[in-house]
Amino acid sequence: MPSAGLWMLATVALLMIATGLPTWIVLIGVSLLFSIVGIAGGLVDFALLTALPARLLGLLENDLLQALPLYVLIGALLNRLPLAELLFRVGSSAARRTGAGPSLAGLALGVLLAPMNGSVGASVAMLTRTLVPRLDASGIPTERGAALVCVASTLGVVVPPSLVLILLGDAMLRAHTEAVNATGRAARIINTQDVFRGALLPAAILLLLFVLVTWGESKTPAGREAQMSIPPVESGPSRLDWMTAMATLVIIVGLLASVTLGYLYAVEAAATGGTALFVAGLATRTLSYPKLKEVLRDTMAVTGALFSLLIGATTFTLTLRAFGTDRWAAAFLTGLGGGVYGALLVVLLLLALCAFVLDAFELIFVVIPVLIPPLLVRVSDTTWVAVLVLLILQASFLMPPFGYSVMMVRNRLDRPIETGKLVRALAPYLLAQLLVLCLVLAVPRLVWHEGSTQSSQGSPSKPLSDKELQELLWQQLGPGEPERAPEGK
Amino acid sequence: MLVLPVSLLLFVQWPLRELVQAYSREANDVAQWLFALYVGIAVTYATRRHSHLAADALARRYPVPVRARLARIASLLVLLPWSLFILYAAWPALSQSVLQLESFPETFNPGYFLIKLGVWLLALLVLLQVVLDVLLGPGRERD
Repeated sequence: MPSAGLWMLATVALLMIATGLPTWIVLIGVSLLFSIVGIAGGLVDFALLTALPARLLGLLENDLLQALPLYVLIGALLNRLPLAELLFRVGSSAARRTGAGPSLAGLALGVLLAPMNGSVGASVAMLTRTLVPRLDASGIPTERGAALVCVASTLGVVVPPSLVLILLGDAMLRAHTEAVNATGRAARIINTQDVFRGALLPAAILLLLFVLVTWGESKTPAGREAQMSIPPVESGPSRLDWMTAMATLVIIVGLLASVTLGYLYAVEAAATGGTALFVAGLATRTLSYPKLKEVLRDTMAVTGALFSLLIGATTFTLTLRAFGTDRWAAAFLTGLGGGVYGALLVVLLLLALCAFVLDAFELIFVVIPVLIPPLLVRVSDTTWVAVLVLLILQASFLMPPFGYSVMMVRNRLDRPIETGKLVRALAPYLLAQLLVLCLVLAVPRLVWHEGSTQSSQGSPSKPLSDKELQELLWQQLGPGEPERAPEGK
Repeated sequence: MLVLPVSLLLFVQWPLRELVQAYSREANDVAQWLFALYVGIAVTYATRRHSHLAADALARRYPVPVRARLARIASLLVLLPWSLFILYAAWPALSQSVLQLESFPETFNPGYFLIKLGVWLLALLVLLQVVLDVLLGPGRERD
């Protein structure tokens, strides 16, 4: 019963919303339930499931994942040291003349901090704590502040070299390898740097549009009213504040840029940033022992939460594969009509639906390994697909009322927000998001390509024909294979 | 505290590789030991701090006792069998690795068995936390 995976996904979504239990427990619970049913019905081989410890070991020895606690450490240090507040104050002061200083500074803080948190959930937690009190103090209405936190929290999905991008790059590499092996096509396999660079221009356009939206909102009557209500500031940031903020900015941007451009490994950059901030905190005596304890506790708690998701997703994916859902999905996507755009739009729609209830990490580890390899058999421009995936994920996180980021922000706020008001506050950002998505869909050249990648992979307008696909499916699986039980039965 | 030495070791492997041109792989391997142990502990720590991500927009309206009961049932029916299964399934490879004091396959540096031990430690701590939650009620330490 290869379609069991779809029922598993539906059960996860239902249980997550109905019980409010931690996602990792729901993922493991559904996997256990279906495994028991599968083993009892002779559909799943128990021996296959004993591979789970080896898969968990893979998480603990994954070089890329070592960057995760280090990025979280940087985020916690920035948050607990006065640096996040300092950056916000200096940013507000620098953008004062635009009339949207606090909002633009909040967005900028999102650009700096969100890529380091790895998870939209972790970013929401950190930015709600850091930004909301300051936006409130600046007289910005609650719904606009909440919308800004929602948007800023999802910037880590598209701004390189975020952890989401690093892990998506790794997932795309595996998916592309599978697709190339399946088709026998001569192609240079995509790597993480390709995804970083590919995302740069669309992310820059998106950020520019977000800045324009944020600035434009301050020019509305409500925005002007908010400015009028700002309490007078006794004094602006001192010269030392400016210098500290600039030094911090240079270090963070330098590290992020060096990873994006391939001068440093992500892990080394994260380790350098974490060590530099720790030493700076000790040297300036701003990192007292109680604060250090808080930083270490925050880091361990967020790291544990993120790895729990990976553990849940790993368990879930193994069960899904034991049922043969991955091959079933491959056969389904390969058999779809409508050429490149038909299959692509179906996959993007499925990802968007999943993103309503799953975080970026869960999507990368659970859904993408199932949906993307068969898509890449049909669409040869892997970097383009990766960037579209990023954009659709970010849009889905922002879609009220069930978008993941929206739900998390509403949960974290200490006061309710009317859905209508929040929808109106988010609408311009969502329009900007939709515009960039359509632009990248229509103009694949907006995505940066390694010269050899593009030439070897061809353009998205040169897919395999339907006949070639059917032949490929025949060769790979054999007639009627999609309905066959997985190996080991 | 383990995250600080992990950060330091992964930072120094860069100058060790580029300037000293030695010991960078050793630094990386030691960081891997600590990382595995750190993650093994962090998962249960996140449970104790109630930091796990959840889509509880609907469930947050449930009465507190109902949520506590749900959490306890989930621990008992999900985490208990899962952790026992991991402890059981990981044991043969772990015991062999520890008895042989298995080294890293690429660098031949000692201590690879500690990474495998990390998986077992993770499952063991999850199991112990389940026992505590079931006996005493879900954790008292809150974020």
